Amino acid sequence: MSARIQDDQRDTDLADAPLDAALRRVWDTPRGVWGALATVDHKVIGRRYIATAFVFLAFGGVLALLMRWQLARPESRVLTPDLYNQIFTVHGTSMMFLFAVPVMEAMAVYLVPLMVGTRNIAFPRLNAFSYWMYLVGGILLWGAFLVDMGPDIGWFAYVPLAGPQYGAGKRVDIWAQMITFTEISALAVAVEIVVTVLKQRAPGMSLDRIPLFVWAMLVTSFIIIMAMPAVMVASTALILDRLVGTHFFNPAEGGDVLLWQHLFWFFGHPEVYIIFLPAVGMISSILPTFVRRPIFGYLPLVLAMVSVGILSFGLWVHHMFTTGLPRLGESFFTASSMAIALPSGIQIFCWLATIWYGRPVYRTPFLFILAFFFTFIMGGMTGVMVASVPLDTQLHDSYFVVAHFHYVLVGGAVFPLLGGVYYWFPKFTGRMMSERVGKWVAGLLFAAFNFTFFPMHVLGLLGMPRRVYTYQLDMGWGGLNLFVSLSAVVLAAGFLLFFYDAVRSARHGEPAGDNPWGAATLEWATASPPPSYNFARLPVVRSANPLWEDDGVLPVAGGLRVDRRELLVTTVGGALPEARESSPRPTIWPLWSALATTALLLGSILTPWAVVWGAVPVTIALIGWFWPGGRKEEES
Amino acid sequence: MDRVGGWKDGVVLAVVLPALVLLGGCRLEDRETRPDPPVAQALGQVALMPNGIGGSPPEVYAALGRPYRESAFHLSQGKRLYEWFGCQACHADGQGGSGPSLIDGWWNYGPDLPTLYTTIHDGRPGGMPAFRDRMTRDQIWQLAAYVQAMGAYTGSLAAPGRSDRPQTRPAENRLPAASAPLR
Repeated sequence: MSARIQDDQRDTDLADAPLDAALRRVWDTPRGVWGALATVDHKVIGRRYIATAFVFLAFGGVLALLMRWQLARPESRVLTPDLYNQIFTVHGTSMMFLFAVPVMEAMAVYLVPLMVGTRNIAFPRLNAFSYWMYLVGGILLWGAFLVDMGPDIGWFAYVPLAGPQYGAGKRVDIWAQMITFTEISALAVAVEIVVTVLKQRAPGMSLDRIPLFVWAMLVTSFIIIMAMPAVMVASTALILDRLVGTHFFNPAEGGDVLLWQHLFWFFGHPEVYIIFLPAVGMISSILPTFVRRPIFGYLPLVLAMVSVGILSFGLWVHHMFTTGLPRLGESFFTASSMAIALPSGIQIFCWLATIWYGRPVYRTPFLFILAFFFTFIMGGMTGVMVASVPLDTQLHDSYFVVAHFHYVLVGGAVFPLLGGVYYWFPKFTGRMMSERVGKWVAGLLFAAFNFTFFPMHVLGLLGMPRRVYTYQLDMGWGGLNLFVSLSAVVLAAGFLLFFYDAVRSARHGEPAGDNPWGAATLEWATASPPPSYNFARLPVVRSANPLWEDDGVLPVAGGLRVDRRELLVTTVGGALPEARESSPRPTIWPLWSALATTALLLGSILTPWAVVWGAVPVTIALIGWFWPGGRKEEES
Repeated sequence: MDRVGGWKDGVVLAVVLPALVLLGGCRLEDRETRPDPPVAQALGQVALMPNGIGGSPPEVYAALGRPYRESAFHLSQGKRLYEWFGCQACHADGQGGSGPSLIDGWWNYGPDLPTLYTTIHDGRPGGMPAFRDRMTRDQIWQLAAYVQAMGAYTGSLAAPGRSDRPQTRPAENRLPAASAPLR
């Protein structure tokens, strides 16, 4: 019975227990430090990604509290002006580039392969590389901040403030290079997800049976692939301007300062949807479980996500209404900004209909979705307000805008994300988070969030500009600011409670079964936490809610080799099996490549020659990465 | 996976946290936008030789860590002050005009910081006005440091950024003045 695994052994010939043993032998990450550094398992990397992103969320939250401490009273002297500038920049940069985008991609890195029923993400080594790059980028930003070298130019780093004349020292270079790190990691993950979704779906998972979170991540990944190059060009041009004296943004030599804003927001506005669409996907995937019925309007939801993805590239100028652009252009972008409310509205109504026709079960993830509804719709409404040029001219750069984008980002992305964490936590760890604590977290966060950010609308209407380190007593903003600061403490307490619950539940939570929520999608068809090979036998999908059909009995596909890492490649449209494809084993080279790339990028802050000499170790590391090792996976 | 942490977490924390605190003590790009009044007061105590050339900077200057010449921030503040207070009217962009050149390597009163400070603070015979009533003391230090950097013979890690306007001479962050072509 202890069948020796021969060459070309197929899973069809094995019973469950020997199959598990055989798959573990080829798929398990080796133990020890080497194994931890070399792993290419999408679940390990995804977990790391998520944990790291939440650490950056906590750090960014501490900075927010510092800002609120400073602003609680007029003429306060808690922070110096220079430190305040660094703090709001690092807060914004950290939240956008080190938390919001990576955490959404991280959820996808973990969940998408499980949801489409495959054994690993496409390009697993690139996945490992992307995590290391992301980690180094985060350490770069925060390390610089700790030694008083944090960027102080705002998270969108407008020139000329960020240019050579006004941005003295190395602070801006650190910001721009941090962007490079996060760009590389985000692009890498986006490519992996696109390929995983298009080519590695379980047999039978045709386009109309893909879980909505996976659809959302597919659209998001395409947005990333098309939007990130704009900011890559922008930040590289900024570094060149500062380091080697090019004049991309210098009007005196034929450059253009507005070029920066166009390039940045051509990325920056799709960025909002890069953060929001995954949240849309999470809601669409979580909601059916808690109202006990399939999602209402699958097709309109998918089409809405795709059209949001397309429209998101036609809105960027609404960030620049006060730069003196021609009126006609501004009208066009007002219209397109309001147009995107249509697909967003379709999504909202599909969800409402799903709830309406369902039987809601008020568990924590569902509560977060309810919190999302109220908060995000508020943010959407103020979004329609600032999309109109006359109003925006009044409100630009005021606290109204601060309130607006926190409503959109926290309401539209963080609440669904936290709901998602509560929902998928049993899958990540095999243990449930506390329902009792979870309800407190949801309630505290929702109430405190609104108490913190709603008054900022009023402060903005009263004329308080954003990014001021203090204000005078006779401006009359003191009372509201104090209230906001006190509410921020409660908000922080809510997050603290969440972190406490997550850490406690990871070790002592109630054990969860494979499918504690009775959900319909494939990630719940395997153990919690899933084994290294995800599915012992690859599932075959016959509907959009596979676990709700046929009493949850899944047909499986066989015929894969078990003596090497192997997965199934299927067609793009109908997910018909095409080929067996090998999947790479763990290797340390992505780490070396990331370190070599880091040396190059950091060195280039100091001297352009770092690009020349730094290319040598990068080349060596890449050669090592691709050097054939005679493993079974490398047979054709 | 179940036994993550335990004493290992403790060790990591015990190493990482103090390291972070120590790191936080470093001030690589400290930027004091407005010094405390006693410090500002003390910044004026330059001890100059009787002939008005050469001397020692105030004690507080060393206590502050000699910030002005070694900080890109102070140097670029000095550069802005150079324009704001009309230095270009006589000295152009350093090439000189009705006033002497600042980048030809020749200093009428010597290139050390206390001398430059005194020159700006008190003025010099021959047309150099006194700025003691127009600028704060730390602004004068910033300007003096910039003027010194402009004509320095040796390169420095700290330099003000290049201006966003057509260049009339090599930018300050390129090469030391001695090896730069004049005009």
